[in-house]
Amino acid sequence: MDFSFSSDQQLLKNSARAFLDEHCKPATVRLLWDDPRGESESMWKEMAQLGWHGLSLPEAYGGSGLGMVETAILLEELGRAAYPGPYWPTVLSAAAIEAAGTDTQRKRWLSAIATGDARATLAFLDNDLDWDPAAVTTRAEKSSRGWTLSGTKRFVPWAHVANVLLIPARVPEGPSLFLVDPSAAGLKLSPVQGMDLATRWVHLELDKVPVAGDAVLGAPGQAASLITDLLRRGAVGAAAEMLGAARRCLDMAVGYAKVREQFGQPIGSFQAIRHKCSEMLLEVENSHSAVYYAAWALDAKAEDHEVAASVAKAYVADASRKVCGEAIQVHGGIGFTWEYDLHIYFKRAKALESMYGDVDYHREQIVRRATR
Amino acid sequence: MDLNYSPEDREFRASTRRWLEANVPKQDLKTLDERKAWHRKLYEAGYVGMLWPNEYGGWGATPMQQAIVQDEMARVSAPPAINGLGIGFIGPTIIVHGTEAQKQRYLKKMLTAEEIWCQLYSEPNAGSDLASLKTRAEDQGEHFVVNGQKIWTSSGPIADWGILLARTDPKVAKHRGISCVLLNMRQPGVEVRPLKQITGSSLFSEVFMTNARAEKSDLIGNINEGWAIAQTTLGFERGGNALGRVTRYVTAFNQLVKATKELKRGGRPLIEDPAVRARMGRIYADLEVQRYAALRVLSALQKGDAPGAASSITKLSYTEFEKRYYELALEILGPFGQLMVAREEFEEVDTSSGEPGTFATAFLWSRAGTIYSGSSEIQKNIIGERVLGLPKEVRADRLKA
Repeated sequence: MDFSFSSDQQLLKNSARAFLDEHCKPATVRLLWDDPRGESESMWKEMAQLGWHGLSLPEAYGGSGLGMVETAILLEELGRAAYPGPYWPTVLSAAAIEAAGTDTQRKRWLSAIATGDARATLAFLDNDLDWDPAAVTTRAEKSSRGWTLSGTKRFVPWAHVANVLLIPARVPEGPSLFLVDPSAAGLKLSPVQGMDLATRWVHLELDKVPVAGDAVLGAPGQAASLITDLLRRGAVGAAAEMLGAARRCLDMAVGYAKVREQFGQPIGSFQAIRHKCSEMLLEVENSHSAVYYAAWALDAKAEDHEVAASVAKAYVADASRKVCGEAIQVHGGIGFTWEYDLHIYFKRAKALESMYGDVDYHREQIVRRATR
Repeated sequence: MDLNYSPEDREFRASTRRWLEANVPKQDLKTLDERKAWHRKLYEAGYVGMLWPNEYGGWGATPMQQAIVQDEMARVSAPPAINGLGIGFIGPTIIVHGTEAQKQRYLKKMLTAEEIWCQLYSEPNAGSDLASLKTRAEDQGEHFVVNGQKIWTSSGPIADWGILLARTDPKVAKHRGISCVLLNMRQPGVEVRPLKQITGSSLFSEVFMTNARAEKSDLIGNINEGWAIAQTTLGFERGGNALGRVTRYVTAFNQLVKATKELKRGGRPLIEDPAVRARMGRIYADLEVQRYAALRVLSALQKGDAPGAASSITKLSYTEFEKRYYELALEILGPFGQLMVAREEFEEVDTSSGEPGTFATAFLWSRAGTIYSGSSEIQKNIIGERVLGLPKEVRADRLKA
């Protein structure tokens, strides 16, 4: 039993930290707020060259064949930097294509994703806001050349920069997952901006969008468990990013408490502040345990990997909201200003809290399994 | 990162399980003699004093093996060994700081529970500020004469020996005038009065020492250097019960599930109520995180990393969790949760601390964990200063007059 990172994993973490400290500074994030795409093409390409996009893809497609633990290590660092861009939606989509795609589909997309030439995203949420993949309301109807998709997809991350959209839709036999061209006829994309200006969402309206017959991932109607797996993986990845945001906020709060003086003392010497910081550390360390246990459980296909994924998302969502919020409280007024960087991470954690299944959804998944 | 148990650990778990299935007493242990006999059986099987070196009667086992034994004992709700403070804290203190004569005299009898030990640290006016303790030990040449009062002493009435912190030099700064000495509890100058707790039972005592005698040969370490010894005492043994504790939480959770299936509100079992489910999901997530954290601590112990001040994070985490846990359980169960006697819907809960009883007992006991062995506030001070490196606070007793 070893809960610590291997030396390779630690190396990956260190190199990710070094890269992002240099290429994804708060100033970089701020610059991209006003960018229509919201991400940096050069950063994306450099990340691909570092092997990040293909980290968990097979070597045949230019990947490194690593697992969810390594992916979580990267995502934690990306969260720590409040990285703006479609990294996680793209990598998660690649995992879907790798898991369920045909040879042709894999050849078409996986190498392109590994080299940074393609971006992808997944549209989990329908108009009725139900995270349960079985409840998908977007419909797919048989047509002469394949399928037509109709419905609404909400809060789809980074769809405006994607080269392919992975869209769950219902056929009579059940949920299916389709590969959809973002420029297809009948597909309307509208930007939706939340409080985190470095997270971009897109509203999709699908009106009889034509999809080729060979653009289904796996067998039609049989994608419920695939989508559930992806949602679960997505949740663990989001938890890793939230952990990174929380650790950044903790570090900033502790650093500030050591130098900021009031009543002639550093404020960190006051128990009111010190105890707050200790509680924040406790939440961050527990979140670390939750994220990496779940990541390991997914890789090892452990008996409890389903519960572990939901535990990670539910726990870290609460913990990161608390830690990032308390970091603002420790800072006082300066922490509430636009110029100070804390709100970048506070907002990132908040944006992810409601993605890949919110806390209520994951608690319900936990209860279903724990009360059987 | 690999969270699989090693083949050796799996085999050890299997053999422990077999032993417990064959040997766990079928009836409750009522008398001290019955508890001592069970303790001795556990010891002879190699399940007590596991981390102690072989030369002092221990078994030289790994932290993981110790955790597995505690976990398996929790799984079958086996009665615990006794003399926990002795074996967990006092014995290791003697091993590290004691003389060879002290080791020969005390350690084996402590392990076998032939002699029961208690800790004489806290006083009515020295709780979190332990160094302000007032009990005096006056040097009489061959021995000390001890006068003073201790409080919150677990196992007081059954203890044969105590490890005592007493002031041996009242003229120096408070941390510098304290010595650590072993005290025979079976003497006329020592009076033990049980304290009744909010659960109604009496597991703690007050101890009054009036001209009690402690031998010079029972001094641990040097005179006036007891404070540093007490600091190391508090650092032993965190993590050994980490898995067992979580398994007891899970056992209690399963009782909660059973109760919410049997109790009905408006004709529907409680478990079907979304508000109840949300609370249950919250509890279970929290509980699982305690388990992951326990594995993380154990993995570090296995590698020989001393947790040091970080063990304060562990203690803070599970004791605060335990309060949230039983608060939510009682919210779910309503007035049923307050029943102090087990009934059909409410079997006894296997509480991780304190005494057996219902959810109400567990709820009451959960208030103790964040106070004993350094309150949550003290743990947060330690985490803040020694883990996060925040500046020390300005305290009246640190200011020069």
